[in-house]
Amino acid sequence: MARYILKRLLISVITVWLLVTVVFILVRLLPGDPFSSDKLTPDIRANLEAYYGFDQPLHLQYLRYIGNLLRGDLGFSIKYQNMPVGKVIADSFPYSADLGIRTILFASLVGIGLGVVAALNRGRPLEYLCIFIAIAGISLPDFITGSLLQYFFGLKLGWFPVALWRSFRHTVLPTLALSFYTLALVSRIMRTSMLEVTGQDYVRTARAKGLPTFKIVWRHQIRNAILPVVTVLGPITAAILTGTFVIESIYAIPGMGKFYVLGVQNLDYTIILGLTAFYGIFLIAANFIVDILYGLIDPRITLADGRRR
Amino acid sequence: MKISSKKGLAILLVALVTSFALAGSAPAKAREFTFSMGYEVPGLDPQKANSIPSMVIAIHVLEGLVRVHDGKVLPGMAESWEISPDGLVYTFHLRDAKWSDGKPVTAYDFEYSLRRLLDPATAAEYAFAAYGIVNGKAFNKGEITDPKLIGAKALDEKTFEIRLEEPMDYLLGYLQLMCFLPSRQDVIEKEKDAFATTADRMVYNGPFTLKEWKLEQVMVLEKNPLYWDSETVQLDRVTIHQVYEQNTALSLYESGEIDMVDIPANLYANYAATGKAQVSLTGADDWIKVNVRPNPEKPWLADKDFRKALAWAIDRGEYLKIATKGLYIPNLRYVLPMVAGVEKHYAEEYPLEFYTEKADPEKARAHLKTAMERLAIDDAGKISVTYLIQDQEECRLMAEALQDQIQRTLGIKFNVQLVTRKQRYLMEGQADYDLVYSGWGPDFDDPLTYVEIWGSDVSHNTSGWGNKTFDELVASSRRETDHRKRLDLLFEAEKILLEEAPMIPLQLRRRAWMTQPGVKGIVRPFVGADLDFRFATVDQ
Repeated sequence: MARYILKRLLISVITVWLLVTVVFILVRLLPGDPFSSDKLTPDIRANLEAYYGFDQPLHLQYLRYIGNLLRGDLGFSIKYQNMPVGKVIADSFPYSADLGIRTILFASLVGIGLGVVAALNRGRPLEYLCIFIAIAGISLPDFITGSLLQYFFGLKLGWFPVALWRSFRHTVLPTLALSFYTLALVSRIMRTSMLEVTGQDYVRTARAKGLPTFKIVWRHQIRNAILPVVTVLGPITAAILTGTFVIESIYAIPGMGKFYVLGVQNLDYTIILGLTAFYGIFLIAANFIVDILYGLIDPRITLADGRRR
Repeated sequence: MKISSKKGLAILLVALVTSFALAGSAPAKAREFTFSMGYEVPGLDPQKANSIPSMVIAIHVLEGLVRVHDGKVLPGMAESWEISPDGLVYTFHLRDAKWSDGKPVTAYDFEYSLRRLLDPATAAEYAFAAYGIVNGKAFNKGEITDPKLIGAKALDEKTFEIRLEEPMDYLLGYLQLMCFLPSRQDVIEKEKDAFATTADRMVYNGPFTLKEWKLEQVMVLEKNPLYWDSETVQLDRVTIHQVYEQNTALSLYESGEIDMVDIPANLYANYAATGKAQVSLTGADDWIKVNVRPNPEKPWLADKDFRKALAWAIDRGEYLKIATKGLYIPNLRYVLPMVAGVEKHYAEEYPLEFYTEKADPEKARAHLKTAMERLAIDDAGKISVTYLIQDQEECRLMAEALQDQIQRTLGIKFNVQLVTRKQRYLMEGQADYDLVYSGWGPDFDDPLTYVEIWGSDVSHNTSGWGNKTFDELVASSRRETDHRKRLDLLFEAEKILLEEAPMIPLQLRRRAWMTQPGVKGIVRPFVGADLDFRFATVDQ
């Protein structure tokens, strides 16, 4: 296990380094630069370039950036004067994470529930209802769901605040809107996987030895069927925690997505690089945790290569 | 402890009565004003800032030598000033005013701030605004290094002097720009790079202080009890939510969460019909800039008559209705008509309708014919131009309408090239275009802010157009101390620019917004900060 973790760590570091390097080169290839604006004169441009070190050769800028990165210093934003990129992340990511964690918990619990209900009620109206929810969730893009929820439950009925992020009531609509897709995805995977498991020998054995249905479903079916859900939860977690931009913008939630989009529009090199490195590390960590979770949930999987139980 | 239901009821009643009684005797409810802003506020460091949204916050928490409210110059930190007869020396007498930490505001604060603005190490984008001050440009370019040579000096604690290279009779209004607002040396030296990154890392001398600032989220301003003129400030607390999604901002307004909201152009017509929308000019003046350099592949670009053919083929009223629902209005000359003249607006004193609101196809085709004869081109279909715009819904809609009008009227090929905003700046800067969608927002309330950018040595003028008479007119206007004579010269220059047509005027931008009933005294100026709520009131 220790050897496996070490190896994965090493690969992760190399991946992040490659990611940062590629993005460093790509942003510099984009036409334009962070300073260009209507009113910039050549003299003032020279002052700005000297201030941000852009008058240095590119490879020196790169080495300096990597050196700072190793010390955990992501540099200063160019658009937001004097603002360290680390502070931008520290101030905005908690909001994305808060929304993301609420969404993942809600979506996976309800999604698994719906999937199980659908599988146990095969051919009955309840299954069709679950399938309908799943199809709707997968087909409707989140900006539609988000706007509709905001319009009806916020503006028309006044049950929840239309936007902003201040209290529990403010979190309800964005969480629902962001959950819908994941919930649908999880319920579909769970249903299919439950149906597969139902036909297995060990379920038949359990039933034959007279176990109560609840115990069969809980101990033999769900525990075995949940594995594919865990598999998708890794990437989904990373995607939700980092990719909440649309919902964040509809509900005016001050998360990180906004800074990424604005960073690209403004060619704010340090913001783009800093957030990419952060996202990269986050994604790699999420997948890593999921791999370890496998081992805990399914005893058939061992992580160290060459060794079998 | 167990409380019987009767006892409980009694307690509740007493509590209710007490709370009503207290409410009656308590001081009036805090007067709050809340609104949404759909733009980034990239920073509040006065000298480094470069954007109008930053300036909106800045003028409410910092005060310069003067205040400009609704186009009028009012005393600010300076209670009076004298101008030398040659218009070159301004002497300001500061009032007794305090920073939010109780220290006095002195002339040394202004001296420090101006030197900091011009210091190349500060890398201030707006340093150019102080180039009119003696040695300002030389110091910013690093040609001289002694800040004492800059013509901005504190003569004593209360007296501040500005010496100019040339008379600038618009200087007082110019001083409202954010880059001229004061910073304090001890605070900056203490906070260093972290200066003005949070609300408690700067000091304030304006009508409000910044209580809370969450980047790109919310800003909370509170009335500054130490402000010298705090009696006139009617608002106790101002909350600014940064909401990017325009529909979300409108929903917040509709649900009563906010008191003021901007109306997007595509919804302007709906709100205008209900009489709720208020409109004002933004000061932005847009045009098509033509690259007039000799171009063997497209020789027509260098031909004045060809450019005029384009200009007369455009139906400004029609395309603005299509693309902006009438929010933007046609500009039939170059300079923003509302800019200050000697006594009235510039356009009232110097009226000019160079183009018409509707297209004039006859005139357009006549100009095209003249150009084609001169260039020996027999088929208009052989003529093509490419119009560079940035990829934005609004720009695209306008470009498509122009394309249709010009191709229909002239029978030439009019291509539209879409690029990102940053790429547009790059290509415009490198003169890598035939035609480009360009424009200017004013830095001060005078025709010069528009006219001067067409000088042949000005970096914004990438058109390749240069005119000796034009340059001379602008230069002599800079030396002129008589206001009317100065504007006469600028008017002559404006006419040359239109006659030579390196640019084709398009439109003046307007903004639309609305406020909840009871909100009064909001001003939306077209120069500098585009929102001024210093003197606003809200009904209880």
